[in-house]
Amino acid sequence: MNKQLRTKRRKIALITAPILLLLSVFYGLSYGSVSISLSEIWTILTTDGQSAQDTIIMNLRLPRVLVGLLTGACLAAAGAILQGVMRNPLADPGIIGVSAGGGLAAVVTMVLLPQLSYLLPAAAFAGAFVSSIVIYLISWDKGTSPVKIVLAGVAVNALLGAIMNGIMVVYSDRVQSVLPWLSGGLNGRSWHHLSFMAPYALVGLGLTLLAIKPANLMLLGDDSAKLLGQKVELQRLLLILLSSLLAGAAVSAAGLIGFVGLVVPHAVRLLIGEDYRYLLPVSILGGAALVVFADTIARTWFDPIELPVGILLACVGAPFFLILLRKRSNWR
Amino acid sequence: MMNKAIDLKDIELEMGMFQLFDITTAIPEGKMTAIIGPNGSGKSTLLKIITKLLSADKGEVAIQGKEAGDYSRADYARTISMLPQAKDMLPELTVRELVAYGRSPHKRLFKQRLTEEDQKIIDWAMKTMSIRRHDDRMFHTLSGGEQQKARIAMALAQKTDIILLDEPTTFLDISHQLEVMGMLRKINQEHGITIVMVLHDLQQAAAYCDHLIAMKDGEIISTGTPQTVITSRFLRQVYEIEAKVSFDQNYPVIIPIPKNYEEDATMIIVTNTSHITKGNGDKLIERFDRIGKVEGMEGFLGLEVLLTQNTAEYDEVSVVTRWNSKDDFQAWTRSEAFRESHSHRKTPDYIISNKIVFQEVKIKRNPLPPVHAEAIAEAKAQ
Repeated sequence: MNKQLRTKRRKIALITAPILLLLSVFYGLSYGSVSISLSEIWTILTTDGQSAQDTIIMNLRLPRVLVGLLTGACLAAAGAILQGVMRNPLADPGIIGVSAGGGLAAVVTMVLLPQLSYLLPAAAFAGAFVSSIVIYLISWDKGTSPVKIVLAGVAVNALLGAIMNGIMVVYSDRVQSVLPWLSGGLNGRSWHHLSFMAPYALVGLGLTLLAIKPANLMLLGDDSAKLLGQKVELQRLLLILLSSLLAGAAVSAAGLIGFVGLVVPHAVRLLIGEDYRYLLPVSILGGAALVVFADTIARTWFDPIELPVGILLACVGAPFFLILLRKRSNWR
Repeated sequence: MMNKAIDLKDIELEMGMFQLFDITTAIPEGKMTAIIGPNGSGKSTLLKIITKLLSADKGEVAIQGKEAGDYSRADYARTISMLPQAKDMLPELTVRELVAYGRSPHKRLFKQRLTEEDQKIIDWAMKTMSIRRHDDRMFHTLSGGEQQKARIAMALAQKTDIILLDEPTTFLDISHQLEVMGMLRKINQEHGITIVMVLHDLQQAAAYCDHLIAMKDGEIISTGTPQTVITSRFLRQVYEIEAKVSFDQNYPVIIPIPKNYEEDATMIIVTNTSHITKGNGDKLIERFDRIGKVEGMEGFLGLEVLLTQNTAEYDEVSVVTRWNSKDDFQAWTRSEAFRESHSHRKTPDYIISNKIVFQEVKIKRNPLPPVHAEAIAEAKAQ
């Protein structure tokens, strides 16, 4: 990629990504068992009404689309940051223990303490956050390195996953409610869910602005970044915490949705390069658009069944990811 | 005494197999200094300690009279910059973007946009390294030599008083090597920037630098001007080569002396001859066979046991051992194994007389190595 091509692609991406997001939002609002046209949506959004369509948009589709939007944005941002700070293009929120930690906390809440199920988002969030801190501490030995963090992450993920599976086997009669959550879905997401996740998500997305400079410097390697005056270890810890904040917000609202954090930033990087000033916003918009779009498909195409969006994303994401991997076999 | 840009005191570091001992030296301000020495002698490690990429177990580093620990990371990066060995993969960048990275220690987290002054400094750094024409080229499309110049320009853009370079010329062809060294010399002379580099090329180190620091096995062997450091003694001590050194202006001319093995190699032959009553020679030989362990001695080269039976009055048994030196033989006579085999035995009465002869001989052709029992058994089996 030369400079002209890169500049052109950056411009196209910065224009296309918001348009795609807008399109997916309108697609999500208008399609379903009842189709609602764009002009009707506009009227509903801008005026108070009491019709059935009003209810569908305002109480069902809009909160669901917004939760999906924030979930996708958070996952993509977390993935983009982690791939930078770990210097590993295969990093995603899974490796810092967010999935396993959040998953275990959620399963414990749903299976062992069902009376506290209203705390589920908070528990998932806390689990995600705590496990990422534990992984960072385990990997610390007079400093840390991406490889150590990834190894500690694999070990902690395996342990937490085993505990989670153990609980599900022992209490197999109560697992029914857990499964959709584990496969990651937006079914029935309401204003309540949105109001829980939005503060974390918005704060996290805002803080990604601060991630741009350190992430760009880490691209040069730890030593070079230190020589340029960066406190690399501290920055890495803070950026991991930021990622777990972002991913924790997503997990608490939508369960375990994989591949968005991995595939979206990776694809964006191939298109427009690694500069975080462009990579981050385009990934965030792209991730949001992808989840909203995929959720609408998962909700409408398989009528009468509603597929959890996580399953759909994994089915599409996995082969796409393999193609990326083969194209980029020169990664080291 | 000169002003010290970098002052190192009692630096010690142990890292796995690798060690630095008692590094105490000063790097003069405004000069070009080269750290030389064989691979693995600790040169790059020392640079990493100076730049705080590694922390020493013991000792003090002072930069411009101030403890390294008293600088913040960012302050440090505004005082001292370093070009690491060209190993790291860089992201896809234009040359100018890479050089602009050099400005980041001067930028705050919230004010990252490059000011006009930043742009001027970037222009200056690129001009100094003559890479202005590559402004918008992608870095990875440049040749190795041009890449290296761009990386040095990035360090220059940091605008530090001290620049460290780890093997800046190692992968370059001779014309780029000389070009880069010449540019560094110019930067040093025109801007008074202290330059410290790890170099493998002794000629270039001597020709371009004012001060040399020679290291071996984690220690500083000698320091000083090129003329005082690069000597025959130094080459023997640090690189273990024999060579004549003379200086042609600034360039040292190093002529290796081929090793003369014939002159050097000598050995000691110890012949222990015993006269034995007629027909009893075998008994003594049997006795010698029971004395073991001589094969394991240091400096032992070989052993023959000779029996002569064609004299009239006595049999003659000679035990001939060959040694690297007299000391090696004496070490054997003082060894536990030797004493054990001789102490609690009376001299048997069949020995008439015994004498030992030492000969120091030059080796013109090496004798065959001792034949081992296993080798014989093996040969038979085949």
